Amino acid sequence: MLNINNLHTAIGDKEILKGLSLKINAGEIHAIMGPNGAGKSTLTYTLGGRPGYEVTSGAVEFDGQDLLALAPHERAAAGLFLGFQYPVEIPGVSNVQFLREALNAQRKLRGEAPLSGGEFLKVARAQADAMGMNMDMLKRPVNVGFSGGEKKRNEMVQMGILDPKLAILDETDSGLDIDALRVVGEGINRVMRKPDKAVLLITHYQRLLDYVQPDFVHVLAAGRIVKSGGPELALELEREGYAEIAA
Amino acid sequence: MTNIADTKNAEALAAANKVSDYEWGFSSDIEQEFAPKGLSEDTVRFISAKKNEPEWMLDWRLKAYRYWLTMETPHWAKLNIPPIDYQDAYYYAAPKAKKQLGSLDEVDPEILRVYEKLGIPLEEQKMLAGVEGARKVAVDAVFDSVSVATTFRKELEEAGVIFRSISEAIREYPEQVKKWLGKVVPMHDNYFAALNCAVFSDGTFVYIPEGVRCPMELSTYFRINAENTGQFERTLIVADKGSYVSYLEGCTAPMRDENQLHAAVVELVILDDAEIKYSTVQNWYPGDAEGKGGIYNFVTKRALCQGKNSKVSWTQVETGSAVTWKYPSCVLNGENSVGEFYSVAVTNNHQQADTGTKMIHNGKNSRSTIVSKGISAGKSNGTYRGLVKVAANADGVRNFTQCDSLLLGDQCGAHTVPYIEVKNPTAQIEHEATTSKISDDQLFYAMQRGLDQESAVALIVNGFAKEVLQQLPMEFAVEAQKLLGISLEGSVG
Amino acid sequence: MTLPTRRDEAWRYADIDAVARLWPLAAPTRINVAAGDAAARHLIVDAAQGATEIRQFAINLDKGAKFDFHVLALGGAYGRIELDVILHEGADFNLGGVILGNDDQILEIVTTVNHVEPGATSNQTIRAVMADKATGTYLGKVAVARGAQHTDSVQSFKAMLLGRAATANAKPELEIYADDVKCAHGAAIGELDAMGLFYLESRGLTPADAKRLMLQAFVAGVFDGAEAEEALQAAALAKLGELV
Repeated sequence: MLNINNLHTAIGDKEILKGLSLKINAGEIHAIMGPNGAGKSTLTYTLGGRPGYEVTSGAVEFDGQDLLALAPHERAAAGLFLGFQYPVEIPGVSNVQFLREALNAQRKLRGEAPLSGGEFLKVARAQADAMGMNMDMLKRPVNVGFSGGEKKRNEMVQMGILDPKLAILDETDSGLDIDALRVVGEGINRVMRKPDKAVLLITHYQRLLDYVQPDFVHVLAAGRIVKSGGPELALELEREGYAEIAA
Repeated sequence: MTNIADTKNAEALAAANKVSDYEWGFSSDIEQEFAPKGLSEDTVRFISAKKNEPEWMLDWRLKAYRYWLTMETPHWAKLNIPPIDYQDAYYYAAPKAKKQLGSLDEVDPEILRVYEKLGIPLEEQKMLAGVEGARKVAVDAVFDSVSVATTFRKELEEAGVIFRSISEAIREYPEQVKKWLGKVVPMHDNYFAALNCAVFSDGTFVYIPEGVRCPMELSTYFRINAENTGQFERTLIVADKGSYVSYLEGCTAPMRDENQLHAAVVELVILDDAEIKYSTVQNWYPGDAEGKGGIYNFVTKRALCQGKNSKVSWTQVETGSAVTWKYPSCVLNGENSVGEFYSVAVTNNHQQADTGTKMIHNGKNSRSTIVSKGISAGKSNGTYRGLVKVAANADGVRNFTQCDSLLLGDQCGAHTVPYIEVKNPTAQIEHEATTSKISDDQLFYAMQRGLDQESAVALIVNGFAKEVLQQLPMEFAVEAQKLLGISLEGSVG
Repeated sequence: MTLPTRRDEAWRYADIDAVARLWPLAAPTRINVAAGDAAARHLIVDAAQGATEIRQFAINLDKGAKFDFHVLALGGAYGRIELDVILHEGADFNLGGVILGNDDQILEIVTTVNHVEPGATSNQTIRAVMADKATGTYLGKVAVARGAQHTDSVQSFKAMLLGRAATANAKPELEIYADDVKCAHGAAIGELDAMGLFYLESRGLTPADAKRLMLQAFVAGVFDGAEAEEALQAAALAKLGELV
């Protein structure tokens, strides 16, 4: 589904990713772990197409398409979802309005008919209920006045509504208490653990992996994947720290 | 000229006495040369001749004078000033001479009290007050010893830094001066600038050569004592590519000064990758509690950030003068150039200050920061007036402006007049302004912890002004803090 | 009355030629809200293409009176809304203004809010979106008289420029003669938040739609709860559609 080959990304003059390669097949859940500054968020933003993250060499194929040739919204329509570490506040724009426009824009690009207001609300309500989010929150401006946990929960509701093929979730566990962590973990499993979907979890800690069991774990250090393994690698990292493994 | 001098000397001295609020008197045996009363082409020629100036300089002055005649005094500032009779003043005369006093006993006790509060050493007090024979010692007090001062001069010369009075520079480095004089502040810029061009009496010229980091902070402090800078001071500082200089102007102690009207011009030129840090503490005589007397301070200060990555930082602490009209500005022509303006302006009693800055963004990715802290007390009025302008071709400009006013008492005024003009869609301009007072709770809290009222006010005011004060060089900052407290004495309670 | 020039502070960014065509102006519309009363008005300046429209109001709010004014400037070659407001003790004035311009339009909102007695509150929120070669100006003065203690006044101006040749001018002025007051103003001119746009695009919105949505959000809040809220929103959204 996703094939990253020797990816180099620079921000300004500074190269952050230095030849990262990774292959994710449908039905798989991968976790990338790594110390601060390893390039975890840079990888997320590069795959999402954030302006300022310049790919200097390498290739990324997503579902048979050249991902790097697509604009951010085209990547979304192709089925890529980014869970932001710091979801952005957008005053004045309600969640409902935003998500309906977003979903219909994606459907349009895919040649599907738009959802009516009623149809959309049905989908939205189901996803909000599943994540234990109040419908009132869905009507409030995007992320404005939300707590850290509420923002992350809102990201999961959005993921449920947009129903992507691949979700890249950047530090989705940060700022969550233990109950919220469980709800978010269950949400990821419910929406994404399917044979035709895949997940890339980007995280600093093992704790989310207690709820979302990864098939593969990779260690990112200094812009490269330095080690790959099964779920046991995450435990090893937790036990021994990054310094040991990345060395 | 000598004849005129003989007949007019008494008149000049009498006039000087009139504008002075200090009871010093003048001894009759002072020999001063001076220009005829009033302003005419002859006055301008006289000054130029006195200074042994080359022909081009005289022509330049005359041109400015003729232009000045066609101009009007600016009316837009929030200042209430009685009309100034420019013909009823001396432009080069005894009024700016400092009388030598026999001892500190002859100095206004009010001034001595301030010196004491500032913690100025006794010998230095004598120097500031102009006590006979104190100068040498005083220079020692500031710079440890005369030899140190001499060492400084030598060190500057070795670094290639030119640091001269502007009169000397016009004679010794005419090409350097000619190249930039009036290029940053054109003679027709404003009424007071034109006046200054015509009659400026002296000032400072600084040139920092390419790649040189000036080995010390330059200060008018020690030069001003050797050469009497006049009421129409002119400063030109050129920082060549990759150079750096920090320049300190003024003095935290009130200088004895008889001139009522001051119209200085300061021009800064900053080339590629160079930086000038210009710090001012202005504490001229503000007039008495009833608003009688005091200096009128009409200053034009401007920096031309001509080079890419050039930077200028203005920091000012304005506590003196009866009237302040002053807008140290930055013309940011260079790509990635940076302009900063940090200001504390305190007005008390009947003082009026209309001060601020202009940030003219012409260069791509130029950035500016404005932090203005106005403190009004008594029956005074303080105004921040500023302009942030972004030209159509200047992409990526950033400005942040913070304007805060603190009012002490219900008889003063605090005003904010910011102009924002943006012609480029990529600019990001942010302006914030707030107004506050010292709350009774704050005062009580501080006093409950053991501060007397004055100290409590000083503490809170210094906290309010902290962002600006911390921009000052260390030795200046400490005195400036004390000065704020002194300026506000008696304003609360 | 003599024709103003650009040296007059309140007219420094005006199209004086356009003003001259309407000169002398009719007397300002007087609005008086009696003590303790509440009133609301709205105004859409939507002059025909090439036309000039100047609307001046002299508003007096007696003790404890409340007045909400919502204005939208979007039509004409030169459009100007000018308010002079006097607030007596405890009065409350709210202004929500939106300026939307394109082509060569020059659109202005000019306000003088005078707090002449204690305890009055005023709140001004102005948003401007300028495209093409349009100029949008907000000159807002808040004057607090001696003795008008406990004044609480807020001014907020924000502008977005969409065109290379568009202009925004602002002068959020404070004139304060009382010490126990809360006066704040903020002005911001800039681009749409890049991170916000990326967030919207990463969810599938096209860049144009993301921009439109952000701009709608930028102006929409101003008319919340306004008299004729729907008419104001509809007119604003229609004009925004032309701008993007």
